[in-house]
Amino acid sequence: MRGPRPYDDATRGGIALGLVLLASFLLVGRGVGASGAFAVAAGSVIGTVAPENLAANPALADRLPSGVPLLDDWIVLQLAGLFVGAALSAWWSGRLRANRSVAAPGATRLTRAFAGGALMGLGARLAYGCTSGLGLTGGALLATGAWIFIPVAFGTAAFVTLLARDGALHGAP
Amino acid sequence: MIGDAVPAIATAVPIGIAFGVILERTGLGDPRVIAGQLTGRDFTVVRVMFGAIVTAMLGVVWGSAAGWIDLSSIAVPPTDIAAQLIGAVIFGGGFALAALCPGTACVAASSGRRDGIAAVAGMLGGTAITAVVWPVLGGVTAAAPREGALLPDDLGLPLWSVVVAVTVMGVAATTLGRRIDSRGSARAWRITATETAALVLAVAFVVVDERTGLSHGRLAGIASEITREADHVEALDLAEWIRAGEPGLRIIDVREDLEAATYLIPGAEAVAIESLTTIRVAAGERVVLYSEGGAHAAQAWVLLRARGVANAFVLKDGLAAWEDEVLAPLRPAVADDTARARYSRARHLSIWFGGMPRLVPLPDEVRPTREPAGRRRRNTC
Repeated sequence: MRGPRPYDDATRGGIALGLVLLASFLLVGRGVGASGAFAVAAGSVIGTVAPENLAANPALADRLPSGVPLLDDWIVLQLAGLFVGAALSAWWSGRLRANRSVAAPGATRLTRAFAGGALMGLGARLAYGCTSGLGLTGGALLATGAWIFIPVAFGTAAFVTLLARDGALHGAP
Repeated sequence: MIGDAVPAIATAVPIGIAFGVILERTGLGDPRVIAGQLTGRDFTVVRVMFGAIVTAMLGVVWGSAAGWIDLSSIAVPPTDIAAQLIGAVIFGGGFALAALCPGTACVAASSGRRDGIAAVAGMLGGTAITAVVWPVLGGVTAAAPREGALLPDDLGLPLWSVVVAVTVMGVAATTLGRRIDSRGSARAWRITATETAALVLAVAFVVVDERTGLSHGRLAGIASEITREADHVEALDLAEWIRAGEPGLRIIDVREDLEAATYLIPGAEAVAIESLTTIRVAAGERVVLYSEGGAHAAQAWVLLRARGVANAFVLKDGLAAWEDEVLAPLRPAVADDTARARYSRARHLSIWFGGMPRLVPLPDEVRPTREPAGRRRRNTC
């Protein structure tokens, strides 16, 4: 069976992503992001079940926006677009089928991916963004916070990986 | 901005699709690629990130210098250093465990990877849990983050130096990364045409920014010139510059009521303050600004210095000083050597400029001044 197409050249992909980022700055005055959409989703849940929690902590309310109409929020719609784009691209390159048919990761890998996701969710809220919204967008705009976040996040991740000796992928296909 | 005129969906979805396609096509939805970066075997992540950051950064700074992009209309992520340090450490731990970041976890999930779906579920949980653990972690956050804090301002460095540093770092990282990703091919060391273009754009920006950039450092420099009064020229000195035919001297009259004025300092041109934002000043020119008393000229001076005109002066005490010290210098009644020398210098200049040195104070109506003589203000600078 024919395998999936090879990946694009990384530098060229990076330049293309930079042009998308620039178009976003020009058209809507903001950059791309990912964790912001999770914040809007979690914020609207917490704003409904425990609004007093947000009201008592302004710094928390600043990080978990509540009362935002989910289906009309820019970052939520942008992340929805990302899901669509990634699915289309994976299908086009023959990776959708490859991922589905082989992907039966072990329980350890799934647990670690879930735990890693949870830590990233928490860390991104403290830091006002993730590798996309703070790293890419803030990095290109030379935001001070971005240039603190990028080296510390990548440095910690490389250090933890070194200690765990690739353990994150244990049980991955 | 187009984004204000159309519904969010019209811009958010196409930009999101492009973002997702690029992440998927470069392989960033694959945790093996990201784990490869964290162990130093594969430089895809660094190359995509730096390629994007350098491209967008150069686009923003050049677009802003050319007037195509209004920087103040772009939302800059806020800065809260303690919270971002701790957040980055927690995030980095999760990044290592998942071998996916939030954006790439969504790509992985959407391209059929089950660990991607697990990471996305974890993200939702972890984001919501932030509210639960806030009593423990919330103490590190600032009461209010600094909105729009930029690295050049915080470091006290000019914008161009940070732009050059990030570009050089980015080109070094992509070159090194390409070398590693190509498994040591000798050709991979060569800097590509695109990387050369990025370096040229960054270096060329140095010249543009030195002339036009308003970084904190440059504003502080202008403020210090004001404190040291390095921006002032005395009327007698200006008169000597004119008489000596100093090359590149350009005298600008910024008085508001010029149509009523009958006298201009010899060689001066009249320019309205609003035209100062656009008039061309050649590199070697020495600009001297004057107004009635000096206040208008001082404001015009700040405008020119902010535009990047380096060699600009204000005539101290304005046209009033020119009249009193050059056109009609008064012989001092009780003169010491300094006052006598000054009067002798002024007397010669005065005659050269067609003025009338005075032995005793004259009544206003016979003084060789322009009309109207009644509206004189001193020391308004």
